[in-house]
Amino acid sequence: MPVMAGYGTMGFAAGVLLAVQGGLSLPALWAALSSALFISGPLQYLFVDWVRTSLALGSVLFIVVCMNLRYALYGLSLIETFREARLGTRLYLIAGITDETYALEVACRLPPAAKRRYCLYLTVLDHFYWVAGVTLGALAGGSLTVPADGIDFAMTALFLVILTDQCRDRRNRMPALVGGIAAVGVFAVLAASLGVAAARMDMLIPTMALMVTALLALRKRLEGGADGGRSA
Amino acid sequence: MTGCSMRYLVVLIVAVGALSWLIRALPFLLFGRSGEPPKLVVYIGRVLSPAAIAMLVVYCYAGYVRDRPPAEHLGMLAEFAAGAVTVALHWRWRSPPLSIAAGTILYMILVRLF
Repeated sequence: MPVMAGYGTMGFAAGVLLAVQGGLSLPALWAALSSALFISGPLQYLFVDWVRTSLALGSVLFIVVCMNLRYALYGLSLIETFREARLGTRLYLIAGITDETYALEVACRLPPAAKRRYCLYLTVLDHFYWVAGVTLGALAGGSLTVPADGIDFAMTALFLVILTDQCRDRRNRMPALVGGIAAVGVFAVLAASLGVAAARMDMLIPTMALMVTALLALRKRLEGGADGGRSA
Repeated sequence: MTGCSMRYLVVLIVAVGALSWLIRALPFLLFGRSGEPPKLVVYIGRVLSPAAIAMLVVYCYAGYVRDRPPAEHLGMLAEFAAGAVTVALHWRWRSPPLSIAAGTILYMILVRLF
């Protein structure tokens, strides 16, 4: 299964990163706990950053909402599929919605009951690969003896990869540009007044506010583009 | 060991896990019975996702501005080169593990040079 290679490798890198840069005792324990609960690549990498800088919980939760909006949007198209599942199963399936799992779930063309079993099987497997990858990475990273300077680029690379995939769809390019420009602008303004370190720490919430305002203002234009894209 | 406090760590993991779950469950809670979500909600959900990822890319680069002042490190040449390679590989081959591993290894080499 390709998901095994993907989640295993990406999880492993996140685990190594946590062990090398997190400065925690027992990194494997925290790696296992966090990966089992977050079930998200971006959050797993950001977790290292939070642990390192003790970022204020308000900023953390704000970014958690943003990152999960993508999965919530996926959920909209899974409402029918999950409806008949038992409550416990349904709650687990919902927690396990991620990019790859979702892609396989919507691509599945089985009849409803079989499809629900398939989704559960898929979610359990993907979840397992992910937790195993992160935990093994933390174990390996803990016993690493060579210097690992620069391994933190894995987080940057992960976001670049997600952004690249999103920008294959033309409709996403303008929103991505809005987000990028807003972030650069806010960071530049804050850096000039507060200094670089404080600016980096405080940039997310003002950027989000600016982004949402700009995206609401551009709604007519961007939704017009959406219809054009769909009919093309 | 620098790290954060144990209390912060536990609160962080529980809060992030719980909130992630809640946000993912929102569409099922709100539209599980009635069906159609409002257009504005769908629109914001759709456009906010790429915008937030782009913001996080900038956030990562802001971290490099802080840790490796551009004036002393050839204007962040290592960061931009590794980023460009990651995007180019991913655009062509569409394999996240390949793109991430190649970009990261290249960066680890470049930071030792510049």
